[in-house]
Amino acid sequence: MRRLSIPLAFALTVLPFAAHAQSIEEKAQICTACHGENGVPLEQSPPVPVIWGQNLGYLFFQLRDFKSGARKNDQMTPIAEGLEHSDLMALAQYFSKKPWPNLRQANPPANVAALAQRANKSVVCTSCHQEGFVGEGTQPRLAGQVRSYLEKTMTDFQSGARGNNPGMTDLMKSITEQEVAALAAYLAGM
Amino acid sequence: MMRCGKTMLLAGAMAMSLPLACVAAGQETGGAGGGGGAANVQIPTVSQSMLNSAAKDSKNFLATNGNYDQTRFHPADEITTKNVKGLHVAWIFQTDVRESMETSPIVVNGVMYITTSFDHLYALNAQTGEQLWHYKHDMGPITVYCCGPNNRGAAVLGDKVYLATLDSKLDAIDTKTGKLVWSSQIADPSLGYSETMAPTAVDGKILVGTNGGEYGIRGFVKAFDANDGKLLWTFDTIPENSVGVWATKDATGRDMHRDIAAEKEALAKNGDPYKTLGGGVWQNPSVDLATKRIYFVVGNPSPDLDGSLRPGDNLYTDSLVSVDLDTGKLACYFQYIAHDLWDLDATSPTVLVNVKDKDGKTVPGVMHAGKTGYIYVHDRKDCKLIRFSEPMVSQKDRWVLPTPTQALDPKAARMFPGANGGVEWSPMATNPGLSLAYAINLEQEMTYTVASAPYPEGKLWLGGAFTNVPGGVQAGNVTAVDYDTGKIKWQVKTPQPMIGGILATGGGLVFAGESNGWFKAYDAKSGSILWKFQAGAGVNAPPSSYMAGGKQYIAVAAGGNVQVDSRRGNSIIAFTND
Repeated sequence: MRRLSIPLAFALTVLPFAAHAQSIEEKAQICTACHGENGVPLEQSPPVPVIWGQNLGYLFFQLRDFKSGARKNDQMTPIAEGLEHSDLMALAQYFSKKPWPNLRQANPPANVAALAQRANKSVVCTSCHQEGFVGEGTQPRLAGQVRSYLEKTMTDFQSGARGNNPGMTDLMKSITEQEVAALAAYLAGM
Repeated sequence: MMRCGKTMLLAGAMAMSLPLACVAAGQETGGAGGGGGAANVQIPTVSQSMLNSAAKDSKNFLATNGNYDQTRFHPADEITTKNVKGLHVAWIFQTDVRESMETSPIVVNGVMYITTSFDHLYALNAQTGEQLWHYKHDMGPITVYCCGPNNRGAAVLGDKVYLATLDSKLDAIDTKTGKLVWSSQIADPSLGYSETMAPTAVDGKILVGTNGGEYGIRGFVKAFDANDGKLLWTFDTIPENSVGVWATKDATGRDMHRDIAAEKEALAKNGDPYKTLGGGVWQNPSVDLATKRIYFVVGNPSPDLDGSLRPGDNLYTDSLVSVDLDTGKLACYFQYIAHDLWDLDATSPTVLVNVKDKDGKTVPGVMHAGKTGYIYVHDRKDCKLIRFSEPMVSQKDRWVLPTPTQALDPKAARMFPGANGGVEWSPMATNPGLSLAYAINLEQEMTYTVASAPYPEGKLWLGGAFTNVPGGVQAGNVTAVDYDTGKIKWQVKTPQPMIGGILATGGGLVFAGESNGWFKAYDAKSGSILWKFQAGAGVNAPPSSYMAGGKQYIAVAAGGNVQVDSRRGNSIIAFTND
């Protein structure tokens, strides 16, 4: 947080005073502060996910949920609250069309991959996240996502800290801490 | 360039008597380019009288489940128990989509219609496998579905072919050009409504159910005008008074361990849960043309595992329902499981066939194969249950209540069958001459846990989780049941859970594919395996049969399946004899 508090605070103070109609490209500029100029997210805590190339319906649902409070996040909540409802789909479309960046995250060792695959066989993640974990529509792509973000997300679903998908909470409670770590490594390496 | 002429590739007098129109060879429409090439194939108009006599039509395969009775029995008998060992590949068509294939090929006078995951529709020359045209649905941004991006097939009527889509739309496509004629929104996808079923075309109407029992929808069957897509009627599968009679036993007479007092308390406090109670209708209804009634089965209540939020019997979830074809008004119903806590929804499509009642008298009957692992036989008049079969799968620990704990807890409930069945969406096949119904089953050891959460608007709402026990039993079977006695005639166990479908033919055969890629022919009377073929991807779709060029073909999709995570593929394979 310390690294970005100044530019972010600046952006937040600038936004309400913008009197002219902004294009979507202009509105999207605020996102680059964390999600990256070229789609590669900055490394910080809590972790920031890739949004470039993410599935359209999923991006829309998350912006909607941040705005409504169904999903809470210290950075995203004020940003989403500052957006018009009509911006949400437009921003989702903007970012879904970008190419997913290759973060070059390492493949995990074979035993870790095996544990991840075993967890998938149990919960059948691919029944929503599709083969290759590329997702579709409102189901997010997980393949190649930031490893620490994946791990935190699964853990937050488990605990209920992320509250905008009770079905995911139920499913994450069905896997162990080791399986969460294995899945995060496996998916990040895809 | 349109190519038409007096020469016709299609054999038979039937082709002559229909109004015909020509298609530009190899046309791509609504999507990616790349032609096929098929000379001089005329695409016929499909009349209602053709559809009415589909059960006797040994040439075509006119509906997802063969005919309005949904017997999946094809009368052609050129391929027999004696010569099936010579069955070989005639052609392979490789679609553009390598993902679950659940489509039943529809064949009309030598033209085959198939669908893929993500809602592509192809018209093929059924004799050569060459593409005539390719339509790709223009998918909206919001799609919400639980169990794979699959599609179970198209419906044909007149000069249009109909496709229901993941973003809850109904598309009508011109059969000659492959171009969209109209598209109707069925329901709001952001609330969890989507379509994976094939529509049913009858009497100028297109009938569709809906997915969404995992998302707190209020389910329905809708009828749209086949010409212009206007909504004609809606039957809500969840009535405003969903409470019912507080049944404590299921259709087979087993106690479901309900806490009626607690439920009545919840009802008094929170009211009737009908608005988000679920009750999707996963597949085609059967149609009784004589009485103008349709018969379908209704899926699970929402949330699947947490009954605390939905007191009462949760009508008409997990039920057989019959409504009037013209008005959509309720005619009769029978609930298999009241207040379901095990995701044992009724999904395999109904079959209309004459059956023996309890006194041995022959009556019009309607059958359904359940996730519970039983085949239920009803009187079509009033939906009353005549009999249920011997169980086709293990019933170990049936009705163990889901535990309010994590799946990882060694005390977490385990039971058979798992949440997929029994019989999942897989349609049965019926050989009325033998009084046999054929069903394919899964046996998957699962743990069930329950956790309460309020309605999450368009998000997955299971009220718990069911997970495959790592290293637990994962198996399947093909079972033949005598529906006049309920006894199992034969059963062949398979190494993997079965999901897809089965076809019975006039040559005394039954065809079914497996997740490991094997596609097999069984003797309809004995279950002996008479032929098999390795397709290279999960054969998890119902097969079809048809005649073209004077020969009988068997066609099936080999594309794998998301629910059992079998090897994915992209192909339709057609087989024939020399």
